[in-house]
Amino acid sequence: MMQELYLNPHQARRRQPTAYEDLLGDSIERAYAAGVHDLAGLVAHLNRTGPNCPAGGVWTEDSYRAEIARLAAEC
Amino acid sequence: MRTNANDPVDAVLAVGLKDLWYPMCPSSFVAERPVSLRRLGRKFVLWREASGVLHALEDHCPHRGAPLSLGIALGDRIACGYHGVQVRADGVVMSVPGSPGCKLEGAKATRSYHVREAAGAIFLYNSSVDITDPPPLNLPTELTDDVHSHFLCYTEWKGDYRYVLDNVMDPMHGTFLHKQSHSMAEGDSTAAFRVRETDTGFVFEKEGQRGVNFDWTEWADTGLHWMRLEIPYPKTGGPGGNFIIIGSYTPISENVSAVFHWRCRKVDGWQRDTWRFLYQNRLEARHWAVLEQDRAILEMMEPDANQREMLYQHDMGIVRLRRHLRNLAKAQLEAGAEKAA
Ligand code: FES
Ligand SMILES: [Fe+2]
Repeated sequence: MMQELYLNPHQARRRQPTAYEDLLGDSIERAYAAGVHDLAGLVAHLNRTGPNCPAGGVWTEDSYRAEIARLAAEC
Repeated sequence: MRTNANDPVDAVLAVGLKDLWYPMCPSSFVAERPVSLRRLGRKFVLWREASGVLHALEDHCPHRGAPLSLGIALGDRIACGYHGVQVRADGVVMSVPGSPGCKLEGAKATRSYHVREAAGAIFLYNSSVDITDPPPLNLPTELTDDVHSHFLCYTEWKGDYRYVLDNVMDPMHGTFLHKQSHSMAEGDSTAAFRVRETDTGFVFEKEGQRGVNFDWTEWADTGLHWMRLEIPYPKTGGPGGNFIIIGSYTPISENVSAVFHWRCRKVDGWQRDTWRFLYQNRLEARHWAVLEQDRAILEMMEPDANQREMLYQHDMGIVRLRRHLRNLAKAQLEAGAEKAA
């Protein structure tokens, strides 16, 4: 009998994403797709289209840095 | 994947060349409880001391051959579950409780192996004989420098590991098999290829096309056999340039392979964190879908598919790699014959 083979499509993430994380991912990808690859532009895009920054509504470069570092480490 | 059932060169390659480092499993697979891994033509037992120090022995008790992995780890040794014989990580029997003072005590009776941890994986030096000091584990720079970030994707596929090597040494399949993927819709469906030598191996690449699709594969031998390739990300992938894949493949058994892919990107600061977030949130699933396309084909290939091939110019890299590996296997056989003489 053969042992079951290891096939796990999710080896990087630690948990299911939340709705907010999915929205943020969508929004970042849309900004990137539009050619916005700088931090100021990305922050402006998020403030225009959402989602809001959970810390205080409005995104700043600092709050984006802090939030995305948290998400990269946590999810 | 035998070209000839009685070919000793193939027999060497089937279980993996000796005196090389091989990735064995993700780091997380091994804790203090002993784990048995079938790899490279034998079974290994791996375990950790409470401090995290890793050990590996052949998973075979020197008394009567019970799997040591069914025993109990006691720091740097394992007590076999069958009759309690204690074997230390260097293969020396420390105690025979059923027959104290017997000849087995103090004997180096089990094969021991050197292991290292890096880039989220456990590597083992597949030495042909027991050695005190293994050569250094030399990983490609993407897995060791600070400018790249990476994730390991580990999978186990049915099929000989040499079919996995062939698949990676075949950039042209990207244009066809992965046409519908998120990252490989571009590029000509015909191309001329050439081989370029490097210090550690060779690059098999499309002439006049780079950074468009899956355009080249590098083969390298740094004491570990690994492959490297790059795939351009779509614009949605953001800053960081091409997506880099480092691959290394280890035979589990005749028809099962341990498949290691490190997905790498040259990113720093907020770009790094954003890539890592997107990878965890969604990119990993997309990359997984691409890898599944490869698995679907490879697992359905007959083991003897390589006996009835009609290769053409795109397959030059495969021919080159197979010849290279056969030469290494021949050299290993000859070195073994010399030692025996
Ligand atoms: S087989 Fe291991 S102690 Fe007897
Ligand atoms: Fe592929």
